[in-house]
Amino acid sequence: MSISGTKPAESRVSDTLARDRLGVAAVVFFVMSAAAPLTVVAGVVPTGLAVTGLTGIAVAFLAVAVVLAIFSVGYVAMARHISNAGAFYAYVSQGLGRPLGVGASWVALLAYNMFQVASYGGFGAIAEPLFADWFGVNAPWWVLGLAAWALVAVLGVRDVAVNGRVLATLLVAEILLTVVFAVAEITTDGFAASSAPLDPSTLTGAGAGALLVMAITGFVGFEQSVVFSEESRDPRRTVSRATYIAIALIAVLYAFASWAMISAAGADKVVDRATAEGPELFFNLAAGPLGDTALHLGHALFLTSLIAAMISFHNIISRYMFSLGREGVLPRVFGKTVPGTGAPKNGSLAQSAVGLAVIVVYAVMGWDPLVQLFFWGGTGGGLGVLLLVTLTAFAVIGFFARHPEGEDLLHRVIAPVIGAVLLLVVSYLAIDNIATLLGVEPGSTPALVVPLSFAVLFVAGVLWALYLRAARPQIYAGIGLGARSAANSGGFAAALNEETR
Amino acid sequence: MASPPQLPPADDLYLTAHDTIRGKSLLSPATLGLGLGAALLGELMLWRRIDLVETELVIIDDRPTGDAASTAVLEQILREAGQHGVRNWLAYLSTGIATDLVERRLARAALIKRVEKRGLLGGTKVSFVPADSMTAGWPATRIRTKVTRDEHLDVADLLLAGLILATGLDQHVLATLDARDRAALFEQFRRLFPAMLQQLVSQAEAAVGDAVMARRA
Repeated sequence: MSISGTKPAESRVSDTLARDRLGVAAVVFFVMSAAAPLTVVAGVVPTGLAVTGLTGIAVAFLAVAVVLAIFSVGYVAMARHISNAGAFYAYVSQGLGRPLGVGASWVALLAYNMFQVASYGGFGAIAEPLFADWFGVNAPWWVLGLAAWALVAVLGVRDVAVNGRVLATLLVAEILLTVVFAVAEITTDGFAASSAPLDPSTLTGAGAGALLVMAITGFVGFEQSVVFSEESRDPRRTVSRATYIAIALIAVLYAFASWAMISAAGADKVVDRATAEGPELFFNLAAGPLGDTALHLGHALFLTSLIAAMISFHNIISRYMFSLGREGVLPRVFGKTVPGTGAPKNGSLAQSAVGLAVIVVYAVMGWDPLVQLFFWGGTGGGLGVLLLVTLTAFAVIGFFARHPEGEDLLHRVIAPVIGAVLLLVVSYLAIDNIATLLGVEPGSTPALVVPLSFAVLFVAGVLWALYLRAARPQIYAGIGLGARSAANSGGFAAALNEETR
Repeated sequence: MASPPQLPPADDLYLTAHDTIRGKSLLSPATLGLGLGAALLGELMLWRRIDLVETELVIIDDRPTGDAASTAVLEQILREAGQHGVRNWLAYLSTGIATDLVERRLARAALIKRVEKRGLLGGTKVSFVPADSMTAGWPATRIRTKVTRDEHLDVADLLLAGLILATGLDQHVLATLDARDRAALFEQFRRLFPAMLQQLVSQAEAAVGDAVMARRA
């Protein structure tokens, strides 16, 4: 098998390299384990019902899937043409200019860190009653959150690759279990097929933006498919297929499970039940037909799903910092790895420091780990990713306006423009509805802090890029080109550039 | 006491990248492979067999070098001339091919010894340990000594030092250099290291970074 189809089939170099390359299934698995299906279905959806009181979540998942799929047409097309395709800021740098790219990189770091700390809160809050039940351990949420934090911190620094087969098995089990539980909920007595979760008018009504952000939160991780653009068997097809398959699978699974859950509880009662039962709602509704063993299994997979998400986001963050450190946008120390393992140690340590600080602050202040950390962090991160995706959509248009070679009109103009317009509308609704999303009064502190912190970091990133342009043009020139760029990477390139730090 | 002789850069890099007593690698297999692959390509440049033009390897002389490891690489490049950029060659050599060639060359010269260990599950594990820890530690010592004494490194040693930085080995073996020494070494890279080899080492370093991003390192 040859890499591009144009080279002779008997090339030993091509054959050897092809053996290491990834197929569609491998990329789908990687993406979906960051998306953490059970965490979304059993964690984000019931909490979101309780906080926002909105039930149109199933149709929101489907609508967001369509928007993201349209966006992905241009996104994966551009990934074929640029280096460092794993990071939004590379697209923004090359499509809209380096200053906006650096702004995007800082927003991305905040958004992914919000996901990361959210998963610590979620794990602690969800594990607290389970550990009391299973082992008789009465530990407060933050002790359990810190245990998960320590596990992720150690794995991150040592870069112990959690066995791909283990992750894949857990993921398949998680998906099967979600389906089985949702089907069980359909068979219960209280089930009455409800149209409320699928009512498209909720997407134009009050609170539409809140629903859409919750839905986007469930998809985050889909953007990571392009990390493997140059590692895939067929650069033109593998990643694009994997991206569409992942989006479709996620959408159908989430929409079905949330529809079943809301219908089983009753659309008029589900908000009250979600408020009372929290993440237990999805399990309680299925408990009747399935029995205790299934319930325990479901709970165990819920926790492993959260841990898989933590590990995924931790790795995304540490590598983001590595890439920025190599380019000199962040201090060069972040561009170093542990020689024996290739672990981006300093980025990993920095992320762990952030995680520790957040857990400690929440514990000391006595803030609620489920709503104020898991849900706010998760949906706040979802909002950040939504804004980044929107900016990237425009970057794709900008990039192909200047480099139209090799892509047809659909990939470089039509889909990107439609996607960008739709995303702009979603972003507007999201910011407009931020108070509904967080379940607070409009204009109150959380409703201001979340969007403003993205804005402040974005502007700060832009200013930092402008400073680099004036003071360190060599570094500025390499922004967004990533570790792949030979002109701008680690210690040796720094030596050539008289950049000794 | 006489110093051990200077070996080809790939051999020196191999010895530097392994524990001098037990032979345990200080680098991940992928990073070691990229470093050794670049070192072998660098040797072919020092033999004046190939050039790096932009990102392509160009053969300027197809005669064997008289050394089995570099000749084996040269023959492969001859067979698939012009089909792959330097990054693909590095990726290919890093799959274990470069490490294997260098291990065989060092074993032939009796600088490393093959050790077989029976594993718990019955299989045997083959590893290599340095024949003499003083010889194995010499390349790194030589670089440190010359840099701290303000002596010039020759081109082969600049290649070695460049690849030590590119693979991150400097955290192990150049950690004792102070800021002034490092600046002096960097000055030598800029003034005395041929542009083509600078480009090769930069490509290797970028490949190492890339492996980290794609979770292959």
